[in-house]
Amino acid sequence: MDYPEELLYSQEHEWVSVDGNRARVGITDFAQDALGDVVYVEMPELGATVSANVSCAEVESTKAVSDVYSPVSGTVSAINDGLTNTPERLNQDPYQEGWIYEVEMSDLSELDAMMDASAYRAFSEGES
Amino acid sequence: MASSDLLHSPLDSEHRALGARMAEFGGWEMPIQYSGVLEEHRSCRTDAVVFDVSHLGSLRVFGPQAKRVLQQTFTNDLERIGPSKAQYTHLLDSDDGHVVDDVIIWWVDDDEFLVMPNASNTDQLIASFSPVDGCEVQDITSTRAVLAVQGPAAATRLKGIFVDNEYPTKFTVVPFSFSGHEGFAAGTGYTGEDGLELHVPLAAVHDLWQSLLAAGVTPAGLGARDTLRLEAGLPLHGFELGPGITPLQAGFGWVVRPEKGEFLGRTPYLAELASGPERRLRGLVVNGRQIPRHGCPINLAGSTVGEVTSGNFSPMLNCGIALGFLPPEIVDGSPVEIGIRDRFVEATVVKPPFVSSKSI
Repeated sequence: MDYPEELLYSQEHEWVSVDGNRARVGITDFAQDALGDVVYVEMPELGATVSANVSCAEVESTKAVSDVYSPVSGTVSAINDGLTNTPERLNQDPYQEGWIYEVEMSDLSELDAMMDASAYRAFSEGES
Repeated sequence: MASSDLLHSPLDSEHRALGARMAEFGGWEMPIQYSGVLEEHRSCRTDAVVFDVSHLGSLRVFGPQAKRVLQQTFTNDLERIGPSKAQYTHLLDSDDGHVVDDVIIWWVDDDEFLVMPNASNTDQLIASFSPVDGCEVQDITSTRAVLAVQGPAAATRLKGIFVDNEYPTKFTVVPFSFSGHEGFAAGTGYTGEDGLELHVPLAAVHDLWQSLLAAGVTPAGLGARDTLRLEAGLPLHGFELGPGITPLQAGFGWVVRPEKGEFLGRTPYLAELASGPERRLRGLVVNGRQIPRHGCPINLAGSTVGEVTSGNFSPMLNCGIALGFLPPEIVDGSPVEIGIRDRFVEATVVKPPFVSSKSI
């Protein structure tokens, strides 16, 4: 299981990559492995307002559908269109090609509640 | 159910050694996937895979009255086949005619049959046989393993294992000998592909499993087995068959043969045959990758007319597919909408199978 050091993690198994006010969001290696083969991703709309800890996307595998809870609040500034026809990228490369959306954050302090890689590793391994 | 209460396949340690993900199914802990559902699914459509289906029940029904008892219990007519053949059949509830179980019967010898129910129904099935002299029923589930080898390359991959055995054609049952152990092979399956099922004593199954893997047959789990059967339009007990669902509703009138005489559920079956079923099982193809799941409403022109029984992603069609009950007057090609969580997606009513290989 891969836990990149430079990312922040949520208890709902999303990761965030921060660049200034902008956050890129995806689901973790642990989450994609638990879901199995992802076959459909329901994206948030560009320009939509998302709120921290509220579902704004869905990831569906042959096994089950799972909500993506936005780790941060803000406005959706980009979505990964490639996932529409190749959702398997989410399994193959959850931290790079498999990113889901980007948010222009409205409250940077929300990041303080997120875990670093070692805390998330301990958290997810405790769950499994 | 705690893991310790679950039954385990004789191949449990082999599955774990391959890194299989295990899950509960019908009281058994069985492999759901090895490499991944999609990859295993495509291997079955293009090459050959093996499923451990030892969770199915095996009842040995034998004696001079065995055939008569089976004729009086199940819906299909054994007179239509003969020894060394297999037949798909239903057990109906005698009061309301719902499908208590769907089983396959292997007619292995003149007075001897192997009846294979769904895992969770084995005890109920035993209870439904009327005890008579000349017909014995033995639950031999714990003495054997069942492996299903499926896919267009099954016969080629199995050549070495069948050097000294006859290879069974579709719905044929033949003796199968492996490293000194005697079992049976039948040209049956649940994927819509060519292939067979092997019923072998426990002592043979470990070597047989290794020989199959060595022959290039890919292990596949119950996850792929479910997406494969769905693409083939085959019913799963508990979803397309079960309480409240009759053979006529599920499109299985052809396995009910009232002309043979009495059997359980014949009266309610004939009543429904006369009035016509209120609903019929149909196929639904989604215009997109969304997956309809069990219980999703099916709408026509804004009103709900039916419900999805099971659905998944079709790895061959790259879209969502489902089976569901609809009023009989809705014709193939009708555009419908399926309610998936908080939205409706467009779908088309079709006649299954969704994917047809030459053998379906």
